[in-house]
Amino acid sequence: MASVRDLRSRIKSVGNIRQITRAMEMVASTKLRRFQDRAVASRPYAREIAGLVGRLAGLLGDDVGDRPLFKDGAGEKTAILLVTSDRGLCGAYNSNLFRFLEQWLREHPAAQPRYYVYGRKGYQYLCRRGREEQIERFLVEPVLEQTDYRAAARTSNLLVQAFQSGQYKDVLILYTAFETMVRYLPTCVPLLPIRSDNLAAGPGEKSAATDVILEPDPATIFDQLVPRYLETRVYNALLESLTSEYASRRFSMKNATDAAKGMQNVLKGKYNRKRQETITKELLDIVGGAEALR
Amino acid sequence: MATDLHLRVITPDKIALDTRTDSVRVPAVDGQMGILSRHAAMVAALDAGVLRWTEGGVSRHMFVAGGFCEVQRGEVRIVTPAGERPVEIDEARAREAEARARERLRVGKSTTGEPLDTVRAELSLRRALLRLSAKSLE
Repeated sequence: MASVRDLRSRIKSVGNIRQITRAMEMVASTKLRRFQDRAVASRPYAREIAGLVGRLAGLLGDDVGDRPLFKDGAGEKTAILLVTSDRGLCGAYNSNLFRFLEQWLREHPAAQPRYYVYGRKGYQYLCRRGREEQIERFLVEPVLEQTDYRAAARTSNLLVQAFQSGQYKDVLILYTAFETMVRYLPTCVPLLPIRSDNLAAGPGEKSAATDVILEPDPATIFDQLVPRYLETRVYNALLESLTSEYASRRFSMKNATDAAKGMQNVLKGKYNRKRQETITKELLDIVGGAEALR
Repeated sequence: MATDLHLRVITPDKIALDTRTDSVRVPAVDGQMGILSRHAAMVAALDAGVLRWTEGGVSRHMFVAGGFCEVQRGEVRIVTPAGERPVEIDEARAREAEARARERLRVGKSTTGEPLDTVRAELSLRRALLRLSAKSLE
């Protein structure tokens, strides 16, 4: 049985932890805000690029399927861009993604994955699983949190180059899609080769594109456009992962704060009872002593 | 003065410009290209360079880092990885980038010691110089 003093110090330490988790919740909230704003701000650009790709693909017709980034790669291996977090204390954010990865691996037993990893947690996980030699690149520059469009573009170009070098069959992105504040889903999207039916140009857009001046010519524009398109895909995956990470972190920190509060109440109850008990015992002693003296 | 062109510059970070104008000049890959109102629908690939337009009779400009220009029904959309007004251009950073690129080209090695990607170094030198020229036009 804990003594009154033990209880008092435990109440205090639980209170300290509560303060810390509360502060972390606040920090996660602000960062979440920031990444959400950036995700929203990047949307018009991504939409424009996707729209252009769709329209030009419609214009080029069946030729699109023959372009290099649209055909299966020459290699056997599969490149996986795995987006995890650098830090923990964000609930099941990382472990959900790892579980998803394991499931994907079970469903594709013949795949020979090669990893491009964002986030220290992903790197640690793969090393712990003894897949260190399957890691092709651990992307640390710049740190995930300070990632911007240019960094995403560099990563995208790195993957395109790897794909074109003929080592790979295809390139996937494994990341956490942000649905709502309390819903984030581990997701796998194919990056390369590009499936022309994914480009989804509306039928109206196709016909509208026929009498457009194209400078210098459709194929040249298209070949310049495709890398930009891939960049926006990578950028979007990074931003969504970061948003999910912070939403998840805020949520788990809030839970921790609430749990600490509950624990504090329980301990306080115990402490008061214990204190009362001690007082009663002392009183009995005094009364007993006075009785004996009479 | 007619102001019947809607000019927008869209970058991954923000809408860098949203204004009405009567004429636009864009740095297309094969030379400067002028766009006036009632221009036919067009998609053009852009080079890094200076975008110019007029606003109330005053000529304005901004740096764009390549991208695409789309003209459609009185709307000019510039979709570019980076668009900066002269006030937004960080002169010190551009000078630094210029010096870095020149140094790399001179030594023939990148800062990390890997063999030099000459094309990339030349491109970054060009971007730095264009940024600086866009700044000095103000």
